[in-house]
Amino acid sequence: MCRAVRDVALCALGLFLVLSAGCSKPEEKTAPAPAGAPGAPAAMPFQVKRIDLGNAIGASKDVAVPTSSFKPSDTIYASIVSDGSAPTVVLSARWTYQDGQVVNESQQSIAPKGPATTEFHIAKPDGWPKGKYQVAIAANGMPAGTKEFTVVD
Amino acid sequence: MPDKPDFSNVKGGGSSTAPSPPTQAGSAPAAPAPRTYTVVAGDSLSKIAKKFYGDANDWKRIFEANKDLIKNPDLIRPGQKLKIPE
Repeated sequence: MCRAVRDVALCALGLFLVLSAGCSKPEEKTAPAPAGAPGAPAAMPFQVKRIDLGNAIGASKDVAVPTSSFKPSDTIYASIVSDGSAPTVVLSARWTYQDGQVVNESQQSIAPKGPATTEFHIAKPDGWPKGKYQVAIAANGMPAGTKEFTVVD
Repeated sequence: MPDKPDFSNVKGGGSSTAPSPPTQAGSAPAAPAPRTYTVVAGDSLSKIAKKFYGDANDWKRIFEANKDLIKNPDLIRPGQKLKIPE
């Protein structure tokens, strides 16, 4: 009796397994989420992280020794460290003297795709007048930071 | 009252590790206009270098860019049009 009951149960279980295997859906493969879709890592927007001043830069456009004090004969570099992506960013540097005179204005159009360093530089063949100066950096016309420096003997 | 400092001879520029934006299709990138200088009486390469670069020792840059015109760097003639490299 017990054996008959056990055999029927085993048959029923086997039948269930066979049927359920045959009816199961094929395995679904998940496609990778397209860029920009919810859940995909979003591209970081462009941002200026740091502005360094110095009188020399390396091949990576980084200022080797940041300083805010320069000699009249120095070439003055502003190194802008940024991160993020954008199709086009117009970085601009506006250098001014203590009396408000504009010393120089320069622009660089870039298409950043991650960490980047952009440098601006100014030089004056007959030497910088002593005094206080400022460089204002803007990205697409929006202020991104300023740095003040002095020229001393 | 002291005179305002003159910043008219300040040279500025820049560069970046980031790529430049692509130029618009159909528009060829504009070639920078080459700088030229017409020699006048009394000029020398050192004098011209001092004028453009602020350093007379840079005369070799002008000489190298104009070797087709200048055979002897000590001898340039009024009226010669020299290329002034950036």
